[in-house]
Amino acid sequence: MSDGELVRRAQDGDESAFSALVREHGESVYRTALSMVSDPDVANDVAQETFLKAYRALAGFRGDAAFRTWILTIAANAARGALRRSNRRRETDIDAVPPVASEAASPEDDAVLADEATRARQALERLPEKQRLSVQLRVDQGLSFREIGDIIGSSEGAARVNYFHGIRRLREMMG
Amino acid sequence: MTNPRCDQIRDSIPDFSAGRLARAEATAVQEHLDGCEDCRAEAELVALLFAARPPVPAGLAESIEGHVRFRRASGGRPWWGLAAAAVAAVALGIGVSSRSTSEVEDVPAYVADMQGLSPWVSDDGLIAGAPALDGLSDEALETLLDEMAAGGSGGAA
Repeated sequence: MSDGELVRRAQDGDESAFSALVREHGESVYRTALSMVSDPDVANDVAQETFLKAYRALAGFRGDAAFRTWILTIAANAARGALRRSNRRRETDIDAVPPVASEAASPEDDAVLADEATRARQALERLPEKQRLSVQLRVDQGLSFREIGDIIGSSEGAARVNYFHGIRRLREMMG
Repeated sequence: MTNPRCDQIRDSIPDFSAGRLARAEATAVQEHLDGCEDCRAEAELVALLFAARPPVPAGLAESIEGHVRFRRASGGRPWWGLAAAAVAAVALGIGVSSRSTSEVEDVPAYVADMQGLSPWVSDDGLIAGAPALDGLSDEALETLLDEMAAGGSGGAA
C-alpha cells in the first residue's frame, strides 16, 4: 500500500495505517535525528516526538509533499529543538579534525575497512549541519536533492552543493 | 577535473553504493568507475559511509507507537502534566480510593486508557507548580520547558 493510501486511511482513523507509516519511516526518522543530535537516546526521543507531532497534524496533511519528505522535515525541526534544549552537540572546529590514518595497506582486510568506515562516519559528524544532513539523506536514505532541499530548507541546487561540498570535505579529511 | 559524464556518475554514486540502481545502470556506473580514478575514490568513500550506517535500536517502531499511544491517552499532556492534575485533584479535596480504576464509573477516559502502562512518576519539584500548567497547550508547555532549562543552566536559587 502506498504512503498516500496509508495517510488517507490514517486520517480516517485507521490506527493500523498509522502504525504502518511508523514501520515504514521510523528508521529514516531515527537516522535523520541521529545525524543531527549525535546521541542515540536523544534520537530515539526525537523519533517518538516526530511521530506524535505527525499524528496530531495528520488531519491537515494535504499531500502537497511526499509523506517521507514531510515526516523528515518534522524530524529535522524536532532535532533542532532538542539540540537547542540540551546543547548536547558540540560545535567542532572542522579544521581540528584529526587526520585519518592513510596506512590502510590492505583493503582486503575487513578490520581495516571497518576502521576506515568508522572514521568516515566520525568525519561526517564534523561537517556543518546542512552538509552533514545532505550527505546522510542522500547516501543513507537515497533521497533526491529536491527532497533534501525541502527538508533542510533550501533549494534543490543548494542541497546538491551542500552534498558535494560535504563529500569533498570528507575526502580531504580522509586523506 | 570532472567532465559531464563524471557529474552524472557522481549523482548516481550513492544509489550505486547502496545497491539501489537497476542492473543496467549499475553496470554503466561500474564501467565508468573502472576508468576514472577520481569518481572511483568518491565511490569508495560513499561505500564506506553507507557500510557504517549507525544501527537502529531494536523495537524502534514499537517504542514510537507506544509513545504516541501514551501521549494520546494522556490527552496530550506530558507525564508531569498528569502528575500535576493528580496533585491538583488532591488539593481540591477529591477523594482518593484504593479501588481499581475499572471499579470507578466516572474516571476520565485517559486514566482508564493508562491502565497497563507504566507512566513515569515525578519525584522532583515540578509538581509544586503543576496545577497552573494544566491547561497549557503542547507548544506552551514546550516553551515553558525551554525557559525552565535556560533558567536551570543559569543556576537556580
